[in-house]
Amino acid sequence: MLEALEGSQAIARAIALCRPGVVAAYPITPQTHIVENISKLVADGKLRTELVSVESEFSAASVVLGASAAGSRSYTASSSQGILLMTEVLFNISGMRLPVVLTCANRAIGAPINIWNDHSDSMAVRDCGWIQLHCADNQEAVDTSIQAFRIAEATELPVMVCMDGFVLTHTLETLEIPAQDLVDRYLPPFAFDRMLDPHNPLSLGTLVGPEYFSETRHLAHQALSNAASTIVDADREWQSLTGRSAGGLLTVEGPADARIGVLAMGSVVSTFREAMDCLGAAPAKLIALRSFRPLPEDAIRAACAGLDHLVVVDRALSPGFGGIVGGEIKAALSGMNDAPQVHNVAIGLGGRDVPMEMWPRLLDVPQQGGGFRILDLEPAKLGEMS
Amino acid sequence: MTEMNDPRARQPRFRGLEAGHRACQGCGEALAARLVTESAGPDVILTNATGCLEVFTTPWPQSAWRVPWLHSLFENSAAIASGVEAALKAQGRRSKVIAMGGDGGTFDIGFQALSGMLERMHNVLYVCYDNEAYMNTGIQRSGSTPHAARTTTSPPGKERMGKRHLKKDLLSIIAAHHIPYAASASVAYPQDLRRKVRRAMEVDGPTFLLVHSPCPLGWGHDGSETIQVARLAVQTGLFPLVELERGEVASVMPLRHRVPVTEYLGLQGRFRHLFADDDHRAREEREHLQALADYNVERYGLDGDGDDPFDADGADTVRRGGPASS
Amino acid sequence: MPTPMNRGAFAQAGSSLAFKTGTWRSAKPVHVHATAPCHGACPAGEDQQAWLALLQEGQLQKAWESLVTANPLPAITGRVCPHPCESACNRGHYDSPIAIHAVERWLGDQAILHNWPYPRLPGSPRSERVAVVGAGPAGLSAAYHLARRHYNVVLMDAMPEAGGLLRSAIPPTRLPRDVIDAEIRRLMSMGIEFRPRTALGRDVTLDELRGEFDAVFLAVGAGKSRHWDVDGAVPADLHEGLALLREWLAVGAIPKPNAVLIHGGGNTAVDLARVMRRAGVRDVHVVTASGLPGPDTDTDDVLNVVPRELEQAIEEGVQFHPHRTINRLIMRGSKVVGVEMVRLKKLPDGNGRKSRVSFEGTETVLHVDMVVPAIGEVVDPTGLTAILAGRDFIDTDMFGTVAGHPGLFAGGDCRSWIKKLTNGTVSAAIGDGRRAAEGIDALLSGRPPAEENRPSLPFAELNLAYYEKSKRVQLPTLPLESRDDSREIEGGPDSAQALAEAARCFSCGNCLACDNCWTLCPDNAVLKTRETCSDGSHYLFDYEYCKGCGLCAAECPCGFISMVDDD
Repeated sequence: MLEALEGSQAIARAIALCRPGVVAAYPITPQTHIVENISKLVADGKLRTELVSVESEFSAASVVLGASAAGSRSYTASSSQGILLMTEVLFNISGMRLPVVLTCANRAIGAPINIWNDHSDSMAVRDCGWIQLHCADNQEAVDTSIQAFRIAEATELPVMVCMDGFVLTHTLETLEIPAQDLVDRYLPPFAFDRMLDPHNPLSLGTLVGPEYFSETRHLAHQALSNAASTIVDADREWQSLTGRSAGGLLTVEGPADARIGVLAMGSVVSTFREAMDCLGAAPAKLIALRSFRPLPEDAIRAACAGLDHLVVVDRALSPGFGGIVGGEIKAALSGMNDAPQVHNVAIGLGGRDVPMEMWPRLLDVPQQGGGFRILDLEPAKLGEMS
Repeated sequence: MTEMNDPRARQPRFRGLEAGHRACQGCGEALAARLVTESAGPDVILTNATGCLEVFTTPWPQSAWRVPWLHSLFENSAAIASGVEAALKAQGRRSKVIAMGGDGGTFDIGFQALSGMLERMHNVLYVCYDNEAYMNTGIQRSGSTPHAARTTTSPPGKERMGKRHLKKDLLSIIAAHHIPYAASASVAYPQDLRRKVRRAMEVDGPTFLLVHSPCPLGWGHDGSETIQVARLAVQTGLFPLVELERGEVASVMPLRHRVPVTEYLGLQGRFRHLFADDDHRAREEREHLQALADYNVERYGLDGDGDDPFDADGADTVRRGGPASS
Repeated sequence: MPTPMNRGAFAQAGSSLAFKTGTWRSAKPVHVHATAPCHGACPAGEDQQAWLALLQEGQLQKAWESLVTANPLPAITGRVCPHPCESACNRGHYDSPIAIHAVERWLGDQAILHNWPYPRLPGSPRSERVAVVGAGPAGLSAAYHLARRHYNVVLMDAMPEAGGLLRSAIPPTRLPRDVIDAEIRRLMSMGIEFRPRTALGRDVTLDELRGEFDAVFLAVGAGKSRHWDVDGAVPADLHEGLALLREWLAVGAIPKPNAVLIHGGGNTAVDLARVMRRAGVRDVHVVTASGLPGPDTDTDDVLNVVPRELEQAIEEGVQFHPHRTINRLIMRGSKVVGVEMVRLKKLPDGNGRKSRVSFEGTETVLHVDMVVPAIGEVVDPTGLTAILAGRDFIDTDMFGTVAGHPGLFAGGDCRSWIKKLTNGTVSAAIGDGRRAAEGIDALLSGRPPAEENRPSLPFAELNLAYYEKSKRVQLPTLPLESRDDSREIEGGPDSAQALAEAARCFSCGNCLACDNCWTLCPDNAVLKTRETCSDGSHYLFDYEYCKGCGLCAAECPCGFISMVDDD
């Protein structure tokens, strides 16, 4: 049944369908509505979970770490500064191989303080060992949130579901919230064989010295790389149940013989889809990268086959280097026969609007040449800011 | 080997902390943790802040713990304990959660998480093993380091007489959370410590235990003197043993014979500069520490009136077959 | 094969046991069962700590059985022994010594009351026969210790009853006769053959005995008074102290001068002084070269008298003149009318020994009409001239062996003084009898004799934090006006008092089973055992894990744990 729901509300409903044992969160814009909606579901008796209203994001992450280790399906959500405050714990959760799910309502990072959307926060914790899945719209966010538990629990890796702040979290969309029995069929009850249990008293979080640390890193890398197939399988099965895919590792849209492609993550993908339909510009492919971690190198190469130019859209940047996704895609295509020329721009930083009109500008980037740049920069404003 | 293994398997007490851990000789914290887990019994889940205790008990692939144990970070023992407790509640399990940390992870960096845990009334016993400095990183001052003590970040010199500030009155801050039960204890009084652990275990809600645990390396005394030093801390009034219920003092261990603080200070290298003959500041700081002890005595009413089996002299009395006051 | 890394680096419970921290150690704790000072000081060889420990456990009969492994006559020694154990008791440095004598007496009385049988050592009957000459404390003790070891023992005495000076020299006010009777009767029932009225040199010769028996133990005592005079002067009507006491004990007769001076510093002097005082003698003076107990007197210079007897004597009006000797008798004809005394003291001389030095100018005169020497006795040489060879006492080693006379042993008051063995008390005689029995058993079994020799536990080795001060038991004594010549003056403790007193024992040098080592080991390297370990404790050190911190040794209340080098 289709409903018109605000993104945050839809996420809260999706999370509730997954029957988490423990939810811990600290409010931060633009994640706030998710926590508020979950709190309301709990208050109304529609969600039976231990809702821990912690005193910081740091503790929120710590609580779900503990709860997961103690054998409960655990969920948290945050944004921006909150994600950064969690950073230390995020590394811990993945290092301990705990299947936590986190919604990152993507937001810029200060200073200067800015509450609007870009990908600086999830990019800042790119290397924390979590699976990162990006959602193009709220239906994908709902479906991905449910899949996230399935993926996390199958791989014993934490999953960060990235959805753009405000653009998705605060936007009313018509979408389908799946039925409880369907979700129950899709998502088995939580089971964790390293659970803290007096009957089998394991020690979790031990000290590992130089003689074993490389092996732990290798195993973490291997686990995350191997998670790609689980992500694909989880989406495929979801599709068989609901008729909807949430985007696999990535999706490719547009004419098969297009010589130019655009690779993007998050809500701008929806904008570009719309633009492709409405503006009827030159034939181009749109590659929507859903799985940023693991970065699916093979799928990316396959998607780029036959392209002369690929424009990679970043929603954040690494100062002194350029676009983070761009850099990674260049690396992924390196050594590929007939690899497209990669062009990298950043757009929509700190909530700057990305309208449909951005689509032709992106397709124009290969003609302009040059290295990485912020495409929607307004040079006239630089005088005021410097 | 088998001869030795057999009696170990048949010990008439529960062992939460097994042999083979790598604490220094005479470690007060190891002893305190052993006593706490022993008194708490097997049906517990522990969380542990980063620190000596975590490091010396769990160098992978070994662990000295015989109860489920979780370590994450320096500053989040109370928060992960909150999560464990929430999960147990969600699952309908009744094991008690015990969060543990040193004074660094409790007084200082982990204080916020602790305060949050107490405020949310999690059913967790938080135990702080107080050895009065950051020992794991090599004896740096903490909020718990006593006034005038030498640490590597509060060294005495021409301009300084050790730590300039006072030991943080953590127990009063804990008391301000109005939790059901909070107490201070000492490794020198194991019966009292055990009783306090058992008392805390019975409470359904947050409880807090501050256990004075000498660090031979950091305090500069021989490993064999750990108990003697801890006992003097109590008998001088510098570390009062008290129990608080809902923030109010519910009981104290009275002092039958108050010992001058110099007897306590003189045993420890960290106070050696307070005994320099030619330094008037040394005398001043000794008097200051005595005044702080006197303040504690007055504040908690520690002076005993007559002999009492539960005062600082009576509480450790032994008799054939075991302790007298258990 | 290295351990394969697992998901999240988790570890199994208690897997640290694979890591043997014992290799860190440079010193290790060991159990050292040092001698409790009471034990070390006991002339009879009792281990008071051991039987007090059993009383602490509430094992009354076992406590008595432990006691009588050394001393078969606790009801007697509990009454008459000057208890050097209490002088040595470490508790004396803390509050006040355990009233060991009182507990011993009570325990001895309990054994009589309940007729607890004397236990024998394990073993089968021996064919050898041993003669014990003299049924005083030394003879009784030797007979008992031999009977315990399953020997055939014939005990003989010149008197019609066994007991020796217990009967002939100790007043019933100190040692009731029914107590002597009960202890000796019970002891004899171990199968000891008693031949009364059998005096050496009169009824039997030493050669006959040595022919008939595999070994002979001489415990004939010192029956002949030592010669006494003052610069050659001797009063015409001289009576020797022990003889007066014996006469009084036998027939109740005692001289009643107006003022008497008794010269001597032992129990005979004090017993006689009290008897004469109670008989109505107005002034009873005791002059002794020794000192009264107090800060001014070295321990080796104190009057050799049961301390409480001294107190009671003073209470009863006996006047003591310590650190004095008699310089001169003041005579009217052959009768004494007074003495001149001078002060003296035992002081170190230039040769590192101590000798008595009198101080000129301290002479005083005391007017008395009778002077009684009580300076001790020597062996009556009748039947022993070959052994004595002109000496006052028989020379032996500590096991009573008489050199040059195989199979012949001697002990008690008849043997010469041996360093470290206290002489002249009932307990010393009992100790002699016990060691002689060991010497005899060793000889007849063809092995060297053995005597326990362990270091004593100094007070400083105790950890006093674990003990509370407590008051020594106050024993009832007959009020002055009720004291007569027959009723026992000092009463014993009741059971509650005795057990409370036993509970005061520090357990010096032996495990108190307090759990401190087990409770305080940070490394879980002290294990508790249900069974008793070979060292008598219930604790084991697990040296695989012990790091050698020494905490257990420091916090052992009773000094049972020592740190030793461990290479």
